[in-house]
Amino acid sequence: MKKIPLILLSLIMIPAVQADELPDTQTELVSVPKLASQTYLKPRPLNAIPDGEFGDKVRKGYELFVNTQQLRGKYVGNELNCSNCHMDAGRKANASPLWAAYFAYPAYRKKNDKVNSFEERIQGCFTYSMNGKAPASGSAELVALSAYSYWLGMGGVMDMAKLDSPVPAISDALLLQGGKLADFPIPEKVKSMMTIDELAKLPGKGFPLVPKPPLAYSPVRGEKVYQAHCQSCHGADGLGYETAGVYSLPPLWGPDSFNWGAGMHRVNTAASFIYENMPFGKSIQLTAQEAWDVAAYVNSHERPQDPRYKGDVSKLMTKYHKHQGYYGQAVDGSPILGSHSYAINPKGE
Amino acid sequence: MMKLKIITLASLVLSFSVLADVPPSAAVCAGCHGQQGQGVEPLGPRLAGLPASYIEKQINLFQTGQRQNPTMQSMSMMVQGDAINQVAEYFAAMDVPLVKPHFRGEKADYPDATERLVYQGDWDRVIPACVTCHGPSGLGVGEFPRLAGQQASYIKSQLLAWQSGTRKGDLDGVMHNIATKLTPSEIDALSQYFATLK
Ligand code: HEC
Ligand code: HEC
Ligand code: HEC
Ligand code: HEC
Repeated sequence: MKKIPLILLSLIMIPAVQADELPDTQTELVSVPKLASQTYLKPRPLNAIPDGEFGDKVRKGYELFVNTQQLRGKYVGNELNCSNCHMDAGRKANASPLWAAYFAYPAYRKKNDKVNSFEERIQGCFTYSMNGKAPASGSAELVALSAYSYWLGMGGVMDMAKLDSPVPAISDALLLQGGKLADFPIPEKVKSMMTIDELAKLPGKGFPLVPKPPLAYSPVRGEKVYQAHCQSCHGADGLGYETAGVYSLPPLWGPDSFNWGAGMHRVNTAASFIYENMPFGKSIQLTAQEAWDVAAYVNSHERPQDPRYKGDVSKLMTKYHKHQGYYGQAVDGSPILGSHSYAINPKGE
Repeated sequence: MMKLKIITLASLVLSFSVLADVPPSAAVCAGCHGQQGQGVEPLGPRLAGLPASYIEKQINLFQTGQRQNPTMQSMSMMVQGDAINQVAEYFAAMDVPLVKPHFRGEKADYPDATERLVYQGDWDRVIPACVTCHGPSGLGVGEFPRLAGQQASYIKSQLLAWQSGTRKGDLDGVMHNIATKLTPSEIDALSQYFATLK
């Protein structure tokens, strides 16, 4: 196996925040507008996952990503699955696909002079989007999710480079770092086609930026959009619908949805997601204005508390919520959002 | 022995009370849909266990001609006002055979193309997995109809009805959008698959 340069490794290992402070891993991705007639990386079909130890990790990663509820109570504190927000099991372009994400980590962040590895990014998803508890660094779950992401991305770029050999197996330690390392094992033919920086910005990464709305977004107008286009699937109360214990139609707010620290609670992030991906199976159908308004409506309801909460909503608001969101605000005469939030990681150990 | 007798008696009484509760307007439906809404192939599909709100909506769609089926359009006129809700609740409450649910994400590799469509979809054509909207194993979820155990001929006729434009009224055309992308052989295979799910 290739060695990671020592300097980089030590950078990665430095805990940038005090142990009692949760890392802010949900920072906004740089969202770029969608280009017309863009072609996207196409991951290999799932039945091409190889047999053997490495293939088993990849398959496990898929299963955890789509049926994340198998970790309920352990690492998951709500009714969501990763695939509820990353469509087609993290394979769909413009729904924050794993294959694009993988090559963008470790990511250097100027804000706190910290390098964020792929595993840390996923840990953040458990803390915030899943309202749970992050699996420990190096755990089998993080290895599996990383292996699945790596396999999707590497297989896709290898196909682009007309390399049809199996995706090379790499060590767990390397899997967890992500593909944006100077000496990450990337086949020569791929390297001659794309630089590391280009790989880190594959078309279709993240959620494409929704156009600015003509009018300032409004939860009041958003309620109308919700009733017309969302309610039949997500319920009038936003709590989704369940069968045999599975919320196929997931909750958008309330105790069993993502918490106040998750990226989706920001109006702009949700608007981009919704514009591109909802109503489910239809893709772009709402106007940009409708997407912003309904995102504001969805995100002006109570949900589980921000895990960084230390007893003071307004303090947390000034520290972490200086963006387009409703945490710490009163909407339409309601109590201040954040003051009646639901439990963080209920039933957690 | 004694115990057994009591149980039989109790269940007899129970089924009588169910029969006694048949709203008068539902009696006409039994000829084609069965007394318990179990369905009578090829006269009428199973109604048992469908969400009440879904049944109400469908009756309305027949009445307004958004679902075109001469038999059922005229039958739908026989229920009006409160009776619509009564028959809907009646059939919705009827038992359906248990099916052991298979969950999305239980495994990654489905060698069978039909099972792949059902549990993973085909996003190159923007077809999400059927079970996302129809619940695990197509057991139905929220206001969405159950497919598991429905008659194959009926499932097929509905997918074709969306293609030919004789079935409309699904919100924002979400199901229309999917049905129109399916090939004839996929429609056959999917109908067979859901009809025989155990
Ligand atoms: C409630 C919706 C939601 C859920 C559930 C969710 N995510 Fe995400 N995820 C997002 C959003 C939104 C972003 C984009 C981040 C931003 O802009 O804040 C994101 C970003 C990511 C990224 C980084 C993408 C990139 O291009 O850098 C990864 C990796 C990821 N999620 C993995 C996961 C995993 C693994 C799970 C399950 C454990 C998960 N997510 C669950 C909404 C979700
Ligand atoms: C046809 C049903 C349907 C409609 C209509 C629909 N959704 Fe969804 N929505 C889904 C499904 C299903 C998922 C999860 C996707 C998956 O698991 O593959 C989802 C996921 C989401 C998510 C991310 C997961 C979560 O729980 O937060 C958000 C946010 C969302 N929808 C918002 C909306 C909004 C806003 C609208 C109206 C503009 C809407 N949806 C309309 C079915 C629907
Ligand atoms: C003469 C036979 C017949 C009678 C009597 C009849 N139906 Fe039907 N019903 C049908 C047929 C055939 C269909 C399928 C229509 C189609 O293909 O669109 C149907 C479909 C339906 C559906 C749609 C089911 C679904 O899964 O979407 C509902 C609801 C329904 N009937 C309710 C009723 C009610 C309530 C009554 C009594 C008032 C009734 N039917 C009486 C033949 C009948
Ligand atoms: C995006 C959500 C969604 C997906 C995915 C979906 N369906 Fe549907 N389906 C619906 C809705 C909504 C209805 C009810 C339409 C109405 O209200 O009239 C429906 C109805 C149906 C019906 C009619 C049932 C009846 O009782 O009349 C059939 C058959 C059906 N779907 C088959 C499928 C198959 C097969 C797939 C997978 C290829 C699939 N659906 C995927 C949303 C979906």
